[in-house]
Amino acid sequence: MRRRTIHALALVTLLAGSVLGSSLALAEGGVLTIGRREDGTTFDPIKTAQNVDFWVFMNVHDVLVRVDRTGKELVPGLAESWEMSPDGLTYTFKMRDAKFSDGSPITAEDAAFSILRIRDSEESLWSDSYQVVKTAEAKDDRTLVVTLNAPSAPFLASLAMPGVSVLSKAAIEADEIDFGEMPVASGAFKVKEWIRGDKVVLERNPEFWEADKVKLDGVEWISVPDDNTRMLKVQAGELDAAIFVPFSSVAELEKNPDLTVHKDPSTREDHLLLNHEHPALAKKEVRQALDFAIDKQAIVDTVTFGVGEVANSYIPRGALYHNEDNLQRPYDPEKAKQLLAEAGESDLTLNYLVEAGAQTWEQTAVLIQEQLAKAGVTVNLQKVDPSTAWDIEVAGEYDLAENYWTNDVIDPDQKTTFVLGHDTNMNYMTRYNNPKVKELVDQARVEMDPAKREALYKEIQVIAKDDVHWIDLYYSPFVNVSRKSIENFYQNPLGRFFLEDTVKN
Amino acid sequence: MSVALARPRLRTPGLPVPLVLGVLLVGAWAVLAVGAPWLAPYDPIAQDMAAKLQPPSAAHWLGTDNFGRDILSRVIWGARIDLQIGFLGVIFPFLIGTCIGAISGYAGGIVDNVFMRLVDIVLAFPFLVLMIAIIAVLGPGLASFYIAMALVGWVSYARLIRAQVLVLKHADFVLAAKSLDFGHGRILFRHILPNALTGSIVFAMSDAVLVILNGAAISYLGLGVQPPIAEWGLMIAEGQGFITTAWWITTFPGLAIVVLAFGFSLLADGLGELLGVRE
Repeated sequence: MRRRTIHALALVTLLAGSVLGSSLALAEGGVLTIGRREDGTTFDPIKTAQNVDFWVFMNVHDVLVRVDRTGKELVPGLAESWEMSPDGLTYTFKMRDAKFSDGSPITAEDAAFSILRIRDSEESLWSDSYQVVKTAEAKDDRTLVVTLNAPSAPFLASLAMPGVSVLSKAAIEADEIDFGEMPVASGAFKVKEWIRGDKVVLERNPEFWEADKVKLDGVEWISVPDDNTRMLKVQAGELDAAIFVPFSSVAELEKNPDLTVHKDPSTREDHLLLNHEHPALAKKEVRQALDFAIDKQAIVDTVTFGVGEVANSYIPRGALYHNEDNLQRPYDPEKAKQLLAEAGESDLTLNYLVEAGAQTWEQTAVLIQEQLAKAGVTVNLQKVDPSTAWDIEVAGEYDLAENYWTNDVIDPDQKTTFVLGHDTNMNYMTRYNNPKVKELVDQARVEMDPAKREALYKEIQVIAKDDVHWIDLYYSPFVNVSRKSIENFYQNPLGRFFLEDTVKN
Repeated sequence: MSVALARPRLRTPGLPVPLVLGVLLVGAWAVLAVGAPWLAPYDPIAQDMAAKLQPPSAAHWLGTDNFGRDILSRVIWGARIDLQIGFLGVIFPFLIGTCIGAISGYAGGIVDNVFMRLVDIVLAFPFLVLMIAIIAVLGPGLASFYIAMALVGWVSYARLIRAQVLVLKHADFVLAAKSLDFGHGRILFRHILPNALTGSIVFAMSDAVLVILNGAAISYLGLGVQPPIAEWGLMIAEGQGFITTAWWITTFPGLAIVVLAFGFSLLADGLGELLGVRE
C-alpha cells in the first residue's frame, strides 16, 4: 500500500517536474553541470579551509566586501559603502537592502554575528586571522560598526574571505548542524539537494539582491574523481564544464571545436620546501646552490606542458605587490657544484617527500632528482600517503617536499605571515628564521600608506629570495574547460566562479 | 622404502602443451630480465627532454614517456622487478604456509585449532585491503610489500597442505614409518610433506599471477616500487594522465603484465596436468 502511494507520488512529481522543467528551460537559462574531482564537506564557512567547499558556497553566501573579477580590487557586496575612522580603528559599514533565501532581511545584526562567530567559535578554523577585531555591533538594522585592537591594513580585504560570509543568525541559532547541510542563502544560488559523494544541486535564489542578473536556473557540481573520465564527459556533452583539467590534456582539448579551455589567472604557486633544521640546508650557500641546480623551465615544460610559468617570488605574478624584478637564479649546475664544494657539502644526500598519487608532484620529484644528481646531490624519493605527508612536514621529518599555496584574500599579509612571519606553523614547515624579515612583516601589516607598503613587501621578497626560504618553482593558472554553448564561465584569481554571470545557450 | 612411494608419478609420457608454452613465455621474460643491461637499447631512467612523448618509431620501438625515457628499455628492465615480485612474493608465503599447515595438520588438537582460527581471522579481511593496511604501517616500498605478502598470503598454502597432511597421516606408509619408531619430525618432513606438496606447487604457479598483479596494483597506488625505477604497474600509473594523448606509455607495460601472467597460468595448468593434480 505504502509502496504504491510512493510510486504514484513519484510519477506525479516526475510529470509535473518534466512539464515545469521544460517550460522553464525555454523561459530561463537551464542548469549548468560542472564536473569536479571530489565532493565538498560543508556549507558552514567557518568550518572549512578547502577549495572544494569555498568554490561552491562562494555562490551561496555573499560577503560584505567582494573581490572583483581581476582579483585585485575590493568592491561593495552586502555592504553598500564603508568608512574608516582617521585612527584606522573603527570601520562603519552601510548595509544594502537585501534578503536571505528564506525571505527574512539581511541585517547589520547578522553581519556582526558572522564576524564574531568566525573569531570566537570553537569550531572556527580561521579565528587567528580575526583576533584583530575588538567589537562588531549593529548600530541599527543597516549600520554595522567594527572596531579593531590595532590598525590593520589587510582588515578590509579579510572581510572578503569566504569564511566570513554573512550568515543568517536566526538560522544558525536554530540548528547549526543543519545549516552546514542546507544553509539559508544570501548569494545567487541556494542549495536544493546534496547527495553526499555524488553531487550538489543548487537552484537560483529569487531573493538574491542581484537576482535579475542571474541567468541560470541552477548549477550542479558533480563529482567525477578520475581526470580522464571527467574530460571525456565534457567532450561527450554529458557535462557542460569541468574543472581541474590536467595539464597533459590541455593541448588535446584545445583542438576540439566544441570546447573552450580556460586558463584563468590564479594565485597558485608550487614551491619546494626546504627543512632549515637539516644541518646542510641550514647553510644559505647550500640552499642557493640547490636553487641554481634546479631547472624550473624544464619543470614548466614537462610537468605543466608550458601552461605554467617560472616563479620568481613567493608573491605570485598578478597578485598585489608582486616584485617583477625579483632575482631569478639561472639554471647552472656547475655553479651549484662549486657553491656546494665551498660549503663543504659536496657529498650531500637528501630525502624528498612525495605525496603518493599526486601526479604533477611525482613528475616534478623525478625531474628534480635527476637535476640535483647533476650537481652531485643524491636525492631519495620517499613516497607517502597524502594524509600523512602534511603531518610529516609539520613534524619536520623531511629534507625536501613540494607544496603549494593559493591566496584566500587579495592582501599579501596572510601568506607573508604564514610563510615568513614566524607564524605558529614554523614558516610553512620550513623552520626558516630571519628576525629582520619578521620585523618587516609586522611593519607592513600596520602600514596604511599603499606606496610605503608596496616598498616593504618588495624588500621582503628580495630578502626571502636571497635567503632561499624555499625554492620558488612555478605559477599556474586555474585550468577549466567548458562547452562552447556556455558563456561567461570564469574564475577570478581567488577561485570564485562568477556563476551569476554565466549563460547556458 | 617409503621414499620410493613418496615420489610423484608422471601420468603421461609427453609433456603437456600448456606447460611447454608456459615455460617458453616465462622463460623469455626471464632471459630479458637477466639480459636487461645488454638487451635494453637505452638507460631506463635517463631522461631526454628533447624526445618526450614520442610515439613508437625506429629509434624508440615502443615510444617514449613524458620524461623522454625509452618505453622498451623500461619494459625490459621492469621484467626484473616484476619477476622478482612474482618469485619473492610467492616463496615466503609458500614456506610459511607449508610449515604451519603441516604442523597444524599433523599435530591436530589444540595446535590445529589455534592455527586454523588464525587462518580464519586473516581470511576475514579483504586481501588487498589488508595488504594496503600493513604496507601503510610499514611505509611504502618493495620490502614492505614482501612482508605484507608473507603475512597475508600464507593462509592459502597452510590450508592446502593441512588438508593433504590430514589425509596422508593415516596412509599405510606413515603407519609403517611409525612402526619403525621414526621421530615425528622425520615422518612429517621426510615422508608426509613430499607427498603433500604437489598441489601447493601447482597453486604457487597460479598464485604467482595474482602476486604479480597485486605488486603492480600496489605500485600503481604508490605503495610499492618507488620512482624512478621501472616497474610495469608504476609505469601504468605514471602514464595514466596521458592515456588519451600517448597510449603507448600505459599499453605496453599493460601488455607485458598480461603476457607474463598468461605464461604463469599456462605453467600452472601444465604442471597440474603433468603431476596429476586437479584444482
